[in-house]
Amino acid sequence: MSVEPGIPTVDNESIEDRLYTVKYEDPGDSHLDVTIPGICAEKCVTTDCVKVCPADVWREGEDGVPNIAYENCLECGSCRWACPHGNVEWEYPDTGAGVTYKNG
Amino acid sequence: MTETAPETDTDGSTDRIDLTDRDTATPDYDDAFDAVVVGAGLAGSTAALTMADEGLDVLLVERGRYPGAKNVFGGVLYTPTLRQLVDVDAAPLERYIAERRFGMLSDEDETAVSISPGEWHDPPHNDSYTVLRGEFDEWLAEQAVEAGATLVTRTTVTGLLREGDRVVGIETDRPDGTIRAPYVVLAEGGNSLVSEGADLKEKDRRENVAVGVKEVLEFPEREHAIEDRFRLTGDAGVSYHYFGEGAVGDAFGGGFIYTNGDTVSVGLAYRLSDAATSQPDPEGTLNAFKTHPAVAPLLRGARTVEYTAKTIPEGGADEIPELVHDGAVIVGDAAGLVLNNGLHLEGTNMAVESGYHAANAVASAAQRGRTDADALAAYREDLESSFVVENLERYEWLIERVQADRELLFEELPRAVADAGSEYFRMDRAPKDQHASTAKRELLRAVGGYTGAAKLAVRYRKLLS
Ligand SMILES: Cc1cc2nc3c(=O)[nH]c(=O)nc-3n(C[C@H](O)[C@H](O)[C@H](O)COP(=O)(O)OP(=O)(O)OC[C@H]3O[C@@H](n4cnc5c(N)ncnc54)[C@H](O)[C@@H]3O)c2cc1C
Ligand code: SF4
Ligand code: SF4
Repeated sequence: MSVEPGIPTVDNESIEDRLYTVKYEDPGDSHLDVTIPGICAEKCVTTDCVKVCPADVWREGEDGVPNIAYENCLECGSCRWACPHGNVEWEYPDTGAGVTYKNG
Repeated sequence: MTETAPETDTDGSTDRIDLTDRDTATPDYDDAFDAVVVGAGLAGSTAALTMADEGLDVLLVERGRYPGAKNVFGGVLYTPTLRQLVDVDAAPLERYIAERRFGMLSDEDETAVSISPGEWHDPPHNDSYTVLRGEFDEWLAEQAVEAGATLVTRTTVTGLLREGDRVVGIETDRPDGTIRAPYVVLAEGGNSLVSEGADLKEKDRRENVAVGVKEVLEFPEREHAIEDRFRLTGDAGVSYHYFGEGAVGDAFGGGFIYTNGDTVSVGLAYRLSDAATSQPDPEGTLNAFKTHPAVAPLLRGARTVEYTAKTIPEGGADEIPELVHDGAVIVGDAAGLVLNNGLHLEGTNMAVESGYHAANAVASAAQRGRTDADALAAYREDLESSFVVENLERYEWLIERVQADRELLFEELPRAVADAGSEYFRMDRAPKDQHASTAKRELLRAVGGYTGAAKLAVRYRKLLS
């Protein structure tokens, strides 16, 4: 049912369900990392990596260093540019692992 | 071509690549290649196809399981150049674009302009088709293979081989995966780790990169939902573009809906710097856009078939890197060749055009037995005199202007236009004259009176010149 009269409801799926639509092969190791954890913990106050990621890969960590759920990664590259301290280590997953899009 | 190409290394033992689980072609790796193409996207496959047609031995290297497996766009594929090279009508196309619609969204209103010229229904349909990259890119790479190129997939290029400044081949993530070749075409897309790693271009600033998210949706319980909602018959389709705060909040960017055969693509793209500073995350922004009162009725009852994300280089003409190097050329998104200014989102045509010119420059240099940057300069010259650089330069000012006027254009004006529209058409017992002048007053107020309106007109006059 619509909350506002006249506007139909559109069901937005959760990020988990969304990511579930994408075929994924685990490369085994994270292809993402931070270069110097100390920069995240002490220097960075904005955690832009968390803000821009469309796949909930980067999450605020308790010690100020983000946790990286690399297996969610859609390989868009956003975090690589977004980090104002150039502190994101970014590689492609090996030999075709990671996401495979059917439609794209 | 191998005879005339210089620096061809045929020493198999060190240069052989072990690609046992390749899906395509069975090349003889003892023969070195004349050219290696990094990335089987639109630019790369076009370059491979064109060089193969010119008689070169070409290796096309793709990191995905198949070409297209890692690729995302809106999208509408623009085919004016591609049509000269392949049989576009045999390609996996979804729908031709019969209507383009531009909607300005405030938080709850829409004011839209729709264009549907009759001739778009006739072949070649203004060279504009929706496609799904998973299928299309694979098809295009197959055309390159049919022309004689060798395709390897599931292979990531990790670096370039250098001799001094000259690029002499690639390194891959395969065991013994080093391949020497006189020419390397860098067609790796916007996330250009190889070109940057080899110092052939600088990493873009986040102000020049947009993050895009997109969903492909289906309508499981509603037959003909797409035809009915978008008023389509046959293979006709639409491309809807949306701006304003209802689309991407106060960020610089826009939303889109495109119709495919049995699905629709809905998504948005906006500047990474805005995503980092002011706008909610891309997924949240997409959710809000999909539930906007003007958008929700089009998507009601839909189910997500696929969720994707990708970035767009949008630095424009100013950010094009040095395109030509000793032994290497940069094409497509890797060279930042995308026109994205709100009115246009065009990268596919530029990728193809650049791949084509680069390939011709390589072929002609190979004929002369040269690999130096000067010998490849024809690529840069051809691209500069093509629509690619012309268009990027032509709209450079627009992006700057829109950026400067963003609050007015994306927030104040959409609201004022919607208010003026509802005022102008207001049904009550006051005379229409009165509505018209209130509407005019509201619009004028938003743009800063007659002087403001005149200034705005002057600032954007080049759009029509
Ligand atoms: C959300 C979004 C919407 C868009 N909408 C439109 C639209 O509607 N119309 C339009 O014309 N344009 C659109 N664009 C732009 C368009 O998609 C691009 O300009 C176009 O795809 C560029 O083609 P390309 O071949 O240069 O790069 P890509 O298509 O990115 O291809 C690069 C290829 O290289 C491969 N690769 C990358 N690195 C390596 C490596 N190291 N080793 C091996 N392989 C590698 C990749 O897997 C990929 O196959 C859109 C872009 C986005 C992100
Ligand atoms: S934005 Fe960069 S520095 Fe800040 S937490 Fe993320 S990775 Fe670390
Ligand atoms: S590449 Fe994209 S999806 Fe992957 S972690 Fe970075 S921002 Fe998130």
